[in-house]
Amino acid sequence: MDKQTLGKKLFRWESALVLLLVFEVLVFGAINPKFLMPRVLLGSINNFMSICIVSLFVTFVLITGGIDIQAGSIVGLTSIVIGVLWNDGGLNIYTACLVGLLVGATCGLLSGFFVAYTGVQAMVVTLGGSFLYSGLALAVTKFSSTESYKGISGFPESFTAIAKGKIFSIIPNQLVIFIALVLFAYVLLHMTKYGRKVFLCGVNKNAAEYSGINSRLVIMSTYVLSGIGASIAGILLTAYLGTAKTDLGKEITLPVITAVVLGGTSNLGGTGGVIGTALAALLIGLLRFGLSMADVNTQYLDIPVGVLLVLAVAARFTGSNDKIRSFFRRFRVLFSK
Amino acid sequence: MKKTICIVLGLMLVASTMVFAKDKPAADSKKGITVVFVPKLTGNAFFESANIGAQDYAKKHGFTVKYDGNPEASVANQVTVIDNAINTGADAICVSSVDAKGLDSIMREAKKAGVKVVTWDSDVSGDARTVMVSQGTPDILGKMLVDMLADSLKERGKNPAKDAIKYCWHYSQATVADQNSWQVAGEAYIKKAYPNWKNVAPSNYYSEQDAEKAITIGEAILTAHPDIDGIICNDSTALPGQAQAAQNLGKTKKDVSITGFASPNSMKGYCKAGIIARWGLWDCKIQGALGCYLAYYLASGKTIKVGDKINVPDIGTVEVFPNTVLDPKAYTAKDSGVVLLPERAVFTIDNMNNYNF
Repeated sequence: MDKQTLGKKLFRWESALVLLLVFEVLVFGAINPKFLMPRVLLGSINNFMSICIVSLFVTFVLITGGIDIQAGSIVGLTSIVIGVLWNDGGLNIYTACLVGLLVGATCGLLSGFFVAYTGVQAMVVTLGGSFLYSGLALAVTKFSSTESYKGISGFPESFTAIAKGKIFSIIPNQLVIFIALVLFAYVLLHMTKYGRKVFLCGVNKNAAEYSGINSRLVIMSTYVLSGIGASIAGILLTAYLGTAKTDLGKEITLPVITAVVLGGTSNLGGTGGVIGTALAALLIGLLRFGLSMADVNTQYLDIPVGVLLVLAVAARFTGSNDKIRSFFRRFRVLFSK
Repeated sequence: MKKTICIVLGLMLVASTMVFAKDKPAADSKKGITVVFVPKLTGNAFFESANIGAQDYAKKHGFTVKYDGNPEASVANQVTVIDNAINTGADAICVSSVDAKGLDSIMREAKKAGVKVVTWDSDVSGDARTVMVSQGTPDILGKMLVDMLADSLKERGKNPAKDAIKYCWHYSQATVADQNSWQVAGEAYIKKAYPNWKNVAPSNYYSEQDAEKAITIGEAILTAHPDIDGIICNDSTALPGQAQAAQNLGKTKKDVSITGFASPNSMKGYCKAGIIARWGLWDCKIQGALGCYLAYYLASGKTIKVGDKINVPDIGTVEVFPNTVLDPKAYTAKDSGVVLLPERAVFTIDNMNNYNF
């Protein structure tokens, strides 16, 4: 598959996602007109922003052919590190956030190192990572005077306003931050040399190696990126909820993978894109929100998401499989006669 | 091809919306008062029975209870559920919080939006809600747990006052407010009443309200401490898991005394099989009903103040206490209080069939 058709295909998948997104907004708007109120629609985005942000950078990992199921635990670790440093270490909250980012990057680096340099499967390493980092998060609370079950709260308003504030009192800050991160990730993945290397490592690691790319370094770096992404989500979630807790983000792992795969990134590596992930994350988030606005009980919301994922991925796979395509073509010819 | 895919997917979405939306056509009608009843998680016997209690009660007294929760217990999930309740125009919410502080800001937002806020089972900060329906103070429940263990030990010929009893705690996690407060109160009571007891795992065992994990952890406890005398499971997922673990390893109530809090139905089988002698709980159906009634009471324009005595139809008169009965350091204000459930129950082989939840 040469680059052009690849680009074309992705573009088309993304437009399918846009169509679905528009369709979704229209349908839910028709069911419950409140859904279309800008305050409600945009406000709902705050509730799933952490999934959107984390999935952006996990996309990089999946493109190299890896997988990252530790991001959720890095969210919690970042959150509690910030809380403890601010509450008990007496650090300025923003300095604490910087340290939090550093912690996230280090966690990513550690797991990335094991994936890239030891050849252990990414699934195994990041599964271990998820236990290690959520365990560390609980250990960190021992340095705090607050009992771990209470969470650390009482953050300054300027900090919580980062995630809760709205520009022109309508556009949530988190959405603006997300768009900025999408742009950053897009440029990094699709317009730089580094991004090309990431793709090449996923297509064929050996070929990448032979063409002079330090594939291990590239692969390791994608885990650092996803660690940083998880930390950003951790900071925003802490600010949004107004509390630092060890178990924040523990439920986002599978939704993140879902968003990335639905966005058109292959879990086998080599293909994918940031825009698709961003659209898919919004699609899932709005689907869940819209359904609950349509009075569906929250506990059933996983069903349509599951259906959507399996169908979409199956459809995309079918659409790109030459054998099935030619079968359908024959079918069509048969009928037209 | 892509077009077909789009259309098919679109139809699927519409179909799934319609299928599920049909479930509850009544809740949208703005005739009566709607209380959104939020559990820590769905699919757990405790919360499901509380919901049954609340639904029956609401039907009888003419208001609507919408049960809405997530199968996975987490702060972010609950924030989403509450945010949706505000957006869909609920009149009141009645929440069992997974976190002591994490829901404060969304609860305050709900209050600001005119939604009446009540908590039950597990609380948030005092100024974020009006009233909390509590199963009992930590001292009452901590002592109850320890007394149940002491009774079971006596029954199998141990002397809790003299023997060097080895015990440990197994519950959900280090971050859940209520369960930890009972554990702390229970430990304090043991130090005072039974200084001869020894906690073999002072940092406790946690199974995160995960049914399978509760069995794994339960087996780990019994394997790591084969001579353990008692296990206190103050969590409704940990207790059945621990009993299953004992059964898996061929242990009965003659080998180890397991006790704790869980609904009667979830433990009847283990009690019949001789794995467990006694366990306890409060009537969570009444707790759910009382919580929803108080939410409805507030939403119908009445106010609740500390010191008030409220007559709750079918349940009795309850008094509103200051928040300090649960935690001496709690926030105090006229418009923020605690209501205690009238009674609690200990289940044994003799009385368990009188309860069905």
